[in-house]
Amino acid sequence: MEILLIGMNHKTAPVEIREKLSLSSFGDACPLRDIMNIPVIKEAMYLSTCNRVEVLACTSDGEKAKEYLKSFIFRHGNLPPEEMEKCLYVYFNGEAIRHLFRVASSLDSLVMGEPQILGQVKEAYREALKMNATGVILNRLLHHAFSCAKRVRTETAIASNAVSVSYAAVELAKKIFGDLKGKTVLIVGAGDMAELAARHLMKQGVGRFLVTNRTFGRAVELAKNFGGEAFEFFHLPERLAEVDIVLSSTGAAGYIITAPMVAQCLKKRRNRLLFLIDIAVPRDIEPEAGERENVFLYNIDDLQEVVDENLRSRLEEARKAETIIEEEANKHQAWMNSLLAVPTIVSLKEKVAKITKQELEKSSSWLKNLSHDDRKRVEILLDSVVNKIVHDPITTLKEETQENGVTSFIAVARRLFRLD
Amino acid sequence: MDTLFFKFALGGYFFSTLGYVISLLVKRVFVAKISTFILSLAFLLQSISFGFRCVITKQSPVLNIYDALALLAWVMTGAYLAFQLKTKTRILGAFVSPLSFLFMIIASIKLGGRVNLLPVLQGTLVPIHVSLAVTGEALFALASVAGAMYLLQDSLIKKKRAHSLSRLLPSLRDLDRINHLCLLAGFPLLTVGIVLGSLWARSVWGSHWVWEPKQIWTALVWLLYAFLLHQRLALGWRGHKTAWFSILSFLFLLACVLINMFSPSTLHRFV
Repeated sequence: MEILLIGMNHKTAPVEIREKLSLSSFGDACPLRDIMNIPVIKEAMYLSTCNRVEVLACTSDGEKAKEYLKSFIFRHGNLPPEEMEKCLYVYFNGEAIRHLFRVASSLDSLVMGEPQILGQVKEAYREALKMNATGVILNRLLHHAFSCAKRVRTETAIASNAVSVSYAAVELAKKIFGDLKGKTVLIVGAGDMAELAARHLMKQGVGRFLVTNRTFGRAVELAKNFGGEAFEFFHLPERLAEVDIVLSSTGAAGYIITAPMVAQCLKKRRNRLLFLIDIAVPRDIEPEAGERENVFLYNIDDLQEVVDENLRSRLEEARKAETIIEEEANKHQAWMNSLLAVPTIVSLKEKVAKITKQELEKSSSWLKNLSHDDRKRVEILLDSVVNKIVHDPITTLKEETQENGVTSFIAVARRLFRLD
Repeated sequence: MDTLFFKFALGGYFFSTLGYVISLLVKRVFVAKISTFILSLAFLLQSISFGFRCVITKQSPVLNIYDALALLAWVMTGAYLAFQLKTKTRILGAFVSPLSFLFMIIASIKLGGRVNLLPVLQGTLVPIHVSLAVTGEALFALASVAGAMYLLQDSLIKKKRAHSLSRLLPSLRDLDRINHLCLLAGFPLLTVGIVLGSLWARSVWGSHWVWEPKQIWTALVWLLYAFLLHQRLALGWRGHKTAWFSILSFLFLLACVLINMFSPSTLHRFV
């Protein structure tokens, strides 16, 4: 039994090829069914996300399975095979396990540490389960991949900090206000970035949205999206007193929110904290406004700085994650190896049991002179001697294959006990 | 028994402090959680120690300056643990635990010695007066710790340094709330403590007010906190300014206590 992983991702293949192999381009036809029809493939899973297409398979013949799967991919791709060949990566056994673990733990993602990939792998696995395409080997492998991903998530900070500008703004808001329930957000202007950040804020349970824009109609439209309230642009100075977070992204050339305007509203606010987020270029909010007590001002560059810092720390965390993956992959490899020894151990035990039975039958003529109890005792004695003798070879076999990965011991054992 | 449990509690404070330091170094929440658990245990042990003390000596557990420090540690820890239940402010423990440990070390110097009270201090009002005042002061100490953390977090956010330290600190809102609640609870306790003290003073000295140094500085401290609380409640002072003010007030309080410890007055002090 071998594990084979063949596929392509955002680093190796352009989107033009990946999209040809994505699930949606297959329509109703299920790629997994075709793959399961390949004779040497025993178990399989088809993973397709926007950044990768991968086939994970358990096969009785690695080389043959590789060729079959390649031709399957070439058939569905839209490029000459030589071109496609360059986009593919192929991993066997240990390498395949490691790759799967890295993918599930989001180390192989475009944005390292993003949380969606684990869900996508789980979904792919569910599909495979539905089609009965997985068995003992892949079930165990996938479950191990999920627990490995969980370990990476909890033991490293790889996913803990925002790596997009809009999300960085949300994180800062939480650092200031704790939780955002019951807070009021004011959106000034109708830029895409502001809308994105507002959506993140909405997910955090922000209480109320206010929207204003030079074109009032646009403000009303946006307010409807967030279930908020729109107001005319000239009311901005007085409405500033009632909000906690301001998201500004207008296309205006000068400052929309000036320092005196902010200073003015502070008294009415009774020193409540105010978080100003300026994601417009040129800037909307006068920088001096952020120098006031209890006012925090971040512009687009400041947020980008936070993101860059977070990305750097993710790289550091990735190193920790790699050691976890290495550890877990080795554990899984050990389990795979132990599987190799299982048939040999079973046949050794069977052989020994057979010998005991035969010998007892041979001696049945004098054994019947013994009382029933004594006969039982002799049988027990015989069993325990035999088991003691084979115990050490079996333990050694397990140890060498499972922990040290020395598979040659299996061949030796089969030869020594003439099991074939 | 009380000294035995006191020693256990001291050990608990030591290990929780150690745990918090390690958790900050390795940046693992798990270690901090264990430290919080140990700290709760230390708090419980100290409560038992106080309990035994009351039962065995039939005296208040707070008779001298060392006891007062132990009480200070106990109240601070208890208040922190209460906040821990309500808000996610585990890092505050890393500030409170070493402070409590320090107070407990000093408190352990005179451990278990019998205290012979001056006749002027024998009365039921005295221990209540002392306990309430010290409890109030402990809450002010916690308020200033939260204030210091507030200023740190505030400046980190203002300077735009999404530092790893900033990540560990609680949100500004939580810190401000802790500061506020500590002031709100500490002030009436101190007030009642002072009133009881003055009642007692009347019965032993014949007057509520004798222009004695400890009375004077206590009055000043009380005025400072009264002013702060007034600004907070009536004028809506918040955040930055209250954090600064509560730290400065507490530093003033601390300076007064220290000066008083070395002043020659024998009238109004711990044995």
